[in-house]
Amino acid sequence: MLVFVAKRLGSLVVVLFFLTLLVFTLGKVADSDPVRTYVGVNASAEAVEAAREELGLDNPIPVQFGSFVAGAVQGDFGISLSSKRPIADELSTRLPATLELAGWALALTVVIGVSLASLYSRPGRFGAFMRFVFFSAASAPSFLIAMLSVLVFYKWLDGALPAAGRSSYGPYEDATGFYVLDGILHGSPTYTWDAIQHLLLPAFAAAVGSGVALARVLADGISSSLGSPWARTARALGEREGTVLRRHALRNASSPALSLLAVQAGFMVSSLVVVEQVFSWNGLGSYLSGAIGVGDFPAIAAVCLILGAVYVILNTLVDVALAAVDPRVRLS
Amino acid sequence: MLYSPKRTLKRLERPTPDRPDGAWSALGVGEKLSLVAVAVTVLVALVGPALMPYSAIIPSGEQLLPPLSPGHVLGTDVLGMDMATRLVAGMQRSLFAAVVVTLISAAIGTLIGVVAGFKGGWLDSALMRFTDLFLAFPAMIIAMAIAAAIGQSLGSAMVGIIVVWWPLYARLVRGEVRRAAALPHVQAARVAGVGGWKLLWRHVVPAVTPTVVVTASLDIGAVVMTLAALSFIGLGTPAPAPELGRMASDGMKYFLNAWWVAVLPSLAIGLLAFVFNYAGDALRVMLRRTGV
Repeated sequence: MLVFVAKRLGSLVVVLFFLTLLVFTLGKVADSDPVRTYVGVNASAEAVEAAREELGLDNPIPVQFGSFVAGAVQGDFGISLSSKRPIADELSTRLPATLELAGWALALTVVIGVSLASLYSRPGRFGAFMRFVFFSAASAPSFLIAMLSVLVFYKWLDGALPAAGRSSYGPYEDATGFYVLDGILHGSPTYTWDAIQHLLLPAFAAAVGSGVALARVLADGISSSLGSPWARTARALGEREGTVLRRHALRNASSPALSLLAVQAGFMVSSLVVVEQVFSWNGLGSYLSGAIGVGDFPAIAAVCLILGAVYVILNTLVDVALAAVDPRVRLS
Repeated sequence: MLYSPKRTLKRLERPTPDRPDGAWSALGVGEKLSLVAVAVTVLVALVGPALMPYSAIIPSGEQLLPPLSPGHVLGTDVLGMDMATRLVAGMQRSLFAAVVVTLISAAIGTLIGVVAGFKGGWLDSALMRFTDLFLAFPAMIIAMAIAAAIGQSLGSAMVGIIVVWWPLYARLVRGEVRRAAALPHVQAARVAGVGGWKLLWRHVVPAVTPTVVVTASLDIGAVVMTLAALSFIGLGTPAPAPELGRMASDGMKYFLNAWWVAVLPSLAIGLLAFVFNYAGDALRVMLRRTGV
């Protein structure tokens, strides 16, 4: 087990290094000139030279890469070309926003996945219809689901759920930035409930795609284990079908589902970027699309690096967890 | 289920898998319909834009006309451009881009997979290390970073997706090549003195092709959606090019008052992806039942 963890950690470091190298290289080959973006088209030659020095672009490229890595490790991602402020400062309020949304979306993914899978795997019932639902939901872009849910819950149901932003009240002073948690910490049910209401629609829109993918894997696993000898034994011992499903089939199907969930986290990141835009959610995603609009590559690189690192680390954790549960994984 | 002689007879009458007409008749109604839907979609995307009475990038009516307006079946957008025309043109672009991305990714992946699987040795492990590195990266984020670095256009979004898509094929093809190399007829050919390129071309590649073709056809729907997501966040050709993802994100500013401007392009993407995902699955079922 220790050997497995050590190997996994080693490859984690290698992947993170190459991820950083790739993002850095992309910044160097990007077709816009960072100095020009920084100082503007009409700046004097001296201003350009000063900016080049300020951004550290007068150093040789290996030195630049070294300071890029050193900065990234300490959470310093340089200066935004458009706002001229440190990128880390701008991201500090946005990271909790995205993490909060991602956490809720992940929870909803599991809820959607497990409930759809239990419906689907009952033999005979809903079979063809559920297949249609699966494929429709898996083919719907997340912004379509986001827009439709806004039309239904905000427009037609007359503002039943809010359609934009994170809160009707604004943040507390000296808070964690996770609004639901902040509401609980400050003992305000109104604030907490308001934050939850704001979370529901965007989290749902981001969760549908991965929820359906999860349901398919779970349903496959469940239907094969429901036909297995030990399921028959459980039935013969007088267990009800629901108990066989919950206690035996679902548990057996959960190991492949867990590794799928880690992969889905990567897809969820991309739907979060899209969904944040629809709901004017002030997170990393809307920051990223803003940076794309103005060609601010250092900001783009910072967001990609953070999201990428989260994804790679998450995958490592899941691998280790799977190996802890299932000894066969360690040997493969 | 009760025993039913009629049903059993019917099952016996079905063509056996080795008969050439087995594949099509093994399909259910829904699966046949899905393959027909693909044909219709491809036809609409190919010839549709040429049949439209308006231009996809020139205003042709009043602004923000709702669907079912006279002369504009699906209404007009905020500049007065005909929605139906733009949607069909956008579907053509999306489909073309998705097919090109899938083909190029499959070609690169197949090349690397064949070389790795066939040559073996240090070349194999070097190529597979490289492939695994790319597989460990978060695909969507890397695609975004690459597309953003090259600049805003459909082409750079396509490059971004190709860079993260080929490793899947490389892994798949390498495995298939190694499996094929162990097949009796390939080993017999090797023993008979067929070697190198001829062995590869005549015996290994034909054994690998069906898997690659099926995987590629399954992938088109996913590539359509990925391209749309990139275009939605601004990594596509800027307006007025008829790009579905961009049309949806531009239309979002007005969609509470004029839902069709944003919802119709999103629906068009969903429709494309649905048709190809559903048919891809039918194709997989067909291959499994006939044992090709």
